[in-house]
Amino acid sequence: MRWWVAVAQNETISTDELSGLVDTIIRAGELLVEEIEVYIAGGESVSAELKKTKIGVATGSKSLGLGIRTIDHGRIGSSGTNDPLAWRKCLDAAVSSGTLATPQEWGGLPGPAGQEQPLLSFDPEVRVEAGIAEEAINEMLKGAAEFPVQVMSGSSDLSTGFLHLANSNGICYSTKKSMVSVSLEAISDQSTGYEFDQSVRMSVDPENVGKKAAFFAHHNRSGADIKTGNYLLVLSPMAMAQLLGNVFIPAVNGRNVHAGRSKLAQSLGQEVADTSISIYDDPFRIFGPGSTWWDAEGVPTRHIDIIKDGILNEFLYDLKSGYRYGKQSTGSALRSGYGGLPGIGYHNLVFDGPRCNIWDEPAIYVHDVVGAHTANPMSGDFSVEISNPSWIENGTFGKPIRKAMYAGNVFDLLKEIDGIAKGERIIGSMVLPEVRLGGQRIIGT
Amino acid sequence: MNMSGDVRYYDVRHVKGQTTHIDIDNRVIESAGTSFFSTAVIRVLGPSGWGILTIDNYTSPEGKKFELLLKSAASLAHITTEPVTLADAPHGVLAVPPMKEDPRSVSLEEKTGILGEIESSARLPGIVNTRATYIERAEQVSFVDSSANEYSFEICRSGFNIMAVASREGIVQMGYERLHSIHGLNIRHQQKMGRLAGERALSLIDAKAAAGGTMDAILDPELAGVFAHEAVGHASEGDLVHEGNSVLSGKIGERIGSSLITIVDDPSLDEFGFDPVDAEGVRVGRTKIIDRGIIGSYLHNRETLASVGQGDAGHARAMPGEPPLVRMSNTFIEEGDSTLDEMLEGINRGIILYGSRGGQVDPGRGVFQFNAEYGFLIEKGEQKGMVRDVSLSGEILSTLHSIEMCGKERKMSQGYCGKGGQSVPVSDGAPYIMLRNAVVGGSGTE
Repeated sequence: MRWWVAVAQNETISTDELSGLVDTIIRAGELLVEEIEVYIAGGESVSAELKKTKIGVATGSKSLGLGIRTIDHGRIGSSGTNDPLAWRKCLDAAVSSGTLATPQEWGGLPGPAGQEQPLLSFDPEVRVEAGIAEEAINEMLKGAAEFPVQVMSGSSDLSTGFLHLANSNGICYSTKKSMVSVSLEAISDQSTGYEFDQSVRMSVDPENVGKKAAFFAHHNRSGADIKTGNYLLVLSPMAMAQLLGNVFIPAVNGRNVHAGRSKLAQSLGQEVADTSISIYDDPFRIFGPGSTWWDAEGVPTRHIDIIKDGILNEFLYDLKSGYRYGKQSTGSALRSGYGGLPGIGYHNLVFDGPRCNIWDEPAIYVHDVVGAHTANPMSGDFSVEISNPSWIENGTFGKPIRKAMYAGNVFDLLKEIDGIAKGERIIGSMVLPEVRLGGQRIIGT
Repeated sequence: MNMSGDVRYYDVRHVKGQTTHIDIDNRVIESAGTSFFSTAVIRVLGPSGWGILTIDNYTSPEGKKFELLLKSAASLAHITTEPVTLADAPHGVLAVPPMKEDPRSVSLEEKTGILGEIESSARLPGIVNTRATYIERAEQVSFVDSSANEYSFEICRSGFNIMAVASREGIVQMGYERLHSIHGLNIRHQQKMGRLAGERALSLIDAKAAAGGTMDAILDPELAGVFAHEAVGHASEGDLVHEGNSVLSGKIGERIGSSLITIVDDPSLDEFGFDPVDAEGVRVGRTKIIDRGIIGSYLHNRETLASVGQGDAGHARAMPGEPPLVRMSNTFIEEGDSTLDEMLEGINRGIILYGSRGGQVDPGRGVFQFNAEYGFLIEKGEQKGMVRDVSLSGEILSTLHSIEMCGKERKMSQGYCGKGGQSVPVSDGAPYIMLRNAVVGGSGTE
């Protein structure tokens, strides 16, 4: 299996030692508990960081971690370590953690399903080499030079990683991931501009990233004040990702829904968004950053229509919340690292609807927002500062705005969609277009 | 260790330890367990800039194996072009304050039981969800550099969060309390924190959405601490100043705010952001960022002290396994001489804001935003109706001039601060402060 090669590059442990490790842990675990799951994640990365226009730091990383989950009479335990040879201590900690957990309904870990599938989120062309990171930096600088701005910082990262998931019901899955990302931040007077790009493949456009960051810094130099009032807004995919990620995603998490922490808990089957809007999880997207055939606990993934034509259709569940609340897992278990228990999330969240020209009338463009994490995840209310606010005039960027605060409610804005632009971009694991919203509250100066 | 011409300096920071986590959600013990980590960062200063290796499960190799790691880091440094130099800075390690009760000496079972009492105390009539989490992180840190500076220490941080959710007729609101410490187990006899969270969630159900606009505002000590952190602290970080990403750049000696305002960062203070030594082995101490309205010092590591100057090194901090960055630790506004009553008396129409849901700053643009947990409208000097989801944004340079009163009693609150993908423990604090003509955000209308 190819993933052992990556592990072997960590010099503290040999390939032979690791190849039998997973089986050994599962056999040892089966003597102690009814079921056991072993998760190994690792990888390598290289990054170059700009300080103004020169590379100041180059970093290489090698990571490796082992996570163990045990289930015994409905009691779930877990532990993790990044020393795989200390697995016994980790197994003991997982078993002992399970003895404290409240027992719950449990119908078993999944068994193997189907044939080995092609890799969805990996490109063998991604090479983790400092020289490639350096080249991307130079291209970004070239793009940034198109406007008279100062580059403040930037970075270029290349990484590959592997995941291995095995359990006592016979699952033994492995997969690989790759990621390339670039970002740049520029300033002109007191106007800052930030842009980034990311891809599973070697398909990022560093020159364009540099150019766009420099454009926003240059464009917003002498903004005019704006009066408090209601306006037509165009949210960039970056701004959309921040608002959806901090409020909407937690609200469709099955565990939050049943625990009384979601405003959408009673809204299944009801219209919660403009009827033109659909929001779905697409785990099979070719070269999607979160694409996968199985989730973090080995359940086969599937397309999930969270909102279809404005109607709230489905919540997201993992095995634990599914068994507890009498629902099927939607294959939505995710792990953020090797330690701890899996949580509920999405693989590739897609926001979709009929496309049109949304730059055809005057509106305020929102490139990004400052402080979206301070939104109220229960009520959906937020008030954030807009980055690079600017008027859209005659189908292009018009007069910049000096400072504007945007106050609203994430659940309400889903119903206030006035149009969706053609095209889309990937932000994290979201696939988002630009969206126009009517009657949004701006607090000016 | 013989260093080749390619290596002007190196250091190794190895952190190992364990994290214990308990999560109780609506009476159910979702998880209660311990995980283990060991991770290191090797930094090499090449002919120009840094080559850095981060390695999981570091085993402190010696001799040839270690030289190979240095070589590997040095080869990364070959792509750097920024000429980095390191300023000299005093070394030294403070003693880690003793803990009253070492959390590791208390069984996981007992801690789970105590946390459960806090969780159940939040379950008041009308509350639909209660969730308590406990986190305990013990770190053994060892550091060595090519100048034979060497130190090691152990520190354990622990604390809890309690959240209560109230729901009525489609309105969902939450109350949230937290307490974290370096002084040992702090979860005993804290049921009052649970009740506070429950009561807050219930009262927010009836609160109105704040109407945004420009008005006078009083910030409570927690929110004023976040203001010091977001509006001033980040913009004083030497790496941002060096990059030109700070409105405070080039402003040393200039008056940038009211003479009532003195803002300090002090990692040597026995608060949640305490560090016995910084992540480059430099002695930690108090840095006065703003002294009575005049900007006095930037926060630095050795590199930014050399490139920018005008401040103190000793502010390099890092998450385990991550390269050090210039960071805040314990950041606060010093006490003034006003009382809360005097502040209220001075406001005809305004708002008083309590608690924090966090904040963010664009230091180059000089614009900050932060969010309060709740507030009350002020009419003719009196606190009136409760408002929810209210935030405050402003421009750093003008807002500091608009501080008109500063209270007598400072209080510190604990939290975590994110920068460059790293999250480090910090504390922020202040007395009550009063701002004239603040930009207050909220989705309500008059």
